[in-house]
Amino acid sequence: MMKNEDMSLFEKMADATVRGDEKECVSLAQKTIKMGADPFEAIQKGFARGMRIVGDKFAKLECFLPEVLLSADAMDAAVEVLKPHLMQRTDGGFFGRVVIGTIHGDVHDLGKNIVKVMLGASGFTIYDLGNDVSVHQFIEKADEVGADIIAASALMTTTMAHMPDIDRMLKELGTRDKYLVMLGGAPVIAEWAREIGADGYGEDAAEAVENAKKLMRKKRGGDVS
Amino acid sequence: MIGFWDILDRSENSPLVKEKQFDQQLGRVAKQMVEIYEIKYDPKQVVPADDSLADRVYQAGLDLFLKTGVFCRDTGRVMKFTREEVEWALRYAPTTVTYGQGRDAAIMSYRSVEDTKPPFCLMTPVGTPVAEERFVPMVQSYVQEPLAQTFSSAFSQTVHGRPIKSGTPQEVEAAIWNVIKLREAARAAGRPHIGIHNLISNAERTDAMLAAMQAEFGAQPNDGLCIAAIAELKIDYERLKKVVFLRHSGHNKYGLYGPLMGGYSGGPEATAIVHVAHHFLGLLVFEVQWHCGFPLHIHYGCNTTRELLWLISITAQALSRNTHLLITTNTFAAAGPCTEMVAYEIIGNALTATVSGADIDLAAVARNRHPERASGMEARMGAEAGHLAARQRITRKQANEMVKQILIQYEHKFGDPPLGKRFDECYDLDTIQPTQEYIDLYEGIKKKLTGFGLDYSLLL
Repeated sequence: MMKNEDMSLFEKMADATVRGDEKECVSLAQKTIKMGADPFEAIQKGFARGMRIVGDKFAKLECFLPEVLLSADAMDAAVEVLKPHLMQRTDGGFFGRVVIGTIHGDVHDLGKNIVKVMLGASGFTIYDLGNDVSVHQFIEKADEVGADIIAASALMTTTMAHMPDIDRMLKELGTRDKYLVMLGGAPVIAEWAREIGADGYGEDAAEAVENAKKLMRKKRGGDVS
Repeated sequence: MIGFWDILDRSENSPLVKEKQFDQQLGRVAKQMVEIYEIKYDPKQVVPADDSLADRVYQAGLDLFLKTGVFCRDTGRVMKFTREEVEWALRYAPTTVTYGQGRDAAIMSYRSVEDTKPPFCLMTPVGTPVAEERFVPMVQSYVQEPLAQTFSSAFSQTVHGRPIKSGTPQEVEAAIWNVIKLREAARAAGRPHIGIHNLISNAERTDAMLAAMQAEFGAQPNDGLCIAAIAELKIDYERLKKVVFLRHSGHNKYGLYGPLMGGYSGGPEATAIVHVAHHFLGLLVFEVQWHCGFPLHIHYGCNTTRELLWLISITAQALSRNTHLLITTNTFAAAGPCTEMVAYEIIGNALTATVSGADIDLAAVARNRHPERASGMEARMGAEAGHLAARQRITRKQANEMVKQILIQYEHKFGDPPLGKRFDECYDLDTIQPTQEYIDLYEGIKKKLTGFGLDYSLLL
């Protein structure tokens, strides 16, 4: 735990993240290591808190995607510095590992990219497969990295028809219980996502993150706060 | 002069840029342009009557296009264009486009700001998902509208009982089915040769689209396809393949651009600038004859918010004042059919677009994502408002006051817009006519709008 006098350091981390100041974020991360402070706490109370502020501002459109991406890059740079010191404690991810992509046939990835950034900022380890990702590619990657969540997005009504295959293929392979499946994207509604066997859904990035956290808490029996 | 094969050469030989860098550069340049050209969104001027502002948005859009260029995803290269090339393309851009045959023929032509010529009205459920058995009735509800000049498609959730999966043989079958059924809907409406502005909206892959563009399935020589830019200012070879086909086939083609307000461009001002720039992309890269914009709110997925109405108005004015391009706004409403909110959203949007120099493409409702939530009645409401704006010679200043009053009726509901009724709940499926409930709702809205200054007697 950091002492009270170090609390201002958290504030500085949050502030540098909000400003998207990558240099400052890296410097503060290095300072954390030198001080022998807890890198997990630095991320949670400092950088990730800054990112949550940015996320809240984005939800109210007090800032826009370019600012969100700058802040995300700044936080990522800080996490890169802290990562080697986190591995033992967290096994590489705080909330869990997410394999994410836009479904087969769909090249639209803006929404997926926002969700990726917000999940990453919330402590998930992200494996981004990009766009036009076939169902078997999602599953192969999830197997390879030991993912907790498979998250797929679609912008087009014509491509969302591939989404039911995620649940179906996982069941065929006998690995359905290993993964949580989350869906989202413009034409995808919660009711349909449930119907086709998804565990979670996100109307937008903020809801996707909240639901991903809830699902992971449930999966881990409530031991992840 | 720049030709299509020059474009292809540029896509193969221009500088390599990482996509993320391109996105960041776009946001930076858009921000710079907002500052340089002093573009400012004013929530009280939803339909601005400031010619200088419109001209600055145009110049900013052109400068941004020249600075950022167009990113080709297949090659990872950024194609750049010169001012002379853009000006040349603008000079020779089409001034009219004809859809349909015989008595169903209709001509889209340039509209000026505050034009007294009624807008060209395209009507469509914009790919709203619908059960296979209700596809033709739903589409017919649009084609039969007297003010409809072209139409396009809903999205059948199945074809021959099978779901449509992109990239599969079923997608090719579905695309062909779509063309056959659209023409069937036109016949059922008694308008057998009306133009279809987008023949295929249930296929993503080029092979499926091109397989379906055949006369024996019902495609007329001047029906068409859209070519959509990938947000923001990006293309790929799938899109360019369509360009090549359409160059040879002679079908009509239009560009489709949906920049996200709050997305890579930034806020309303920056997104307006990027939206203008998309029209240069469409003209030079896709060689389109006309342009359809559906800028959307990044969180609400519609374009009926105050900022989006401003954006629609100022970009239409910018393009109408500085070019003779044929420009159209595709309305996206948050609420669903048979609700007061959807009526206000669509009418406000149509008034805004029409007085600003655009034609109107009506309309996606319930953000075109909720199955069965769309009907021709919403398109009727928008088209009648658009016609009134022209016939009543409504100025931007007058429209601004009306639209602000309309906005007050619904803008507090974006967090939880009503989904309204399904098509089979608000239309009689035997007669394909709106229910009395829906007719009464519209009559009530018209009374209120009469109080805001719209003179519905001019439609008689």
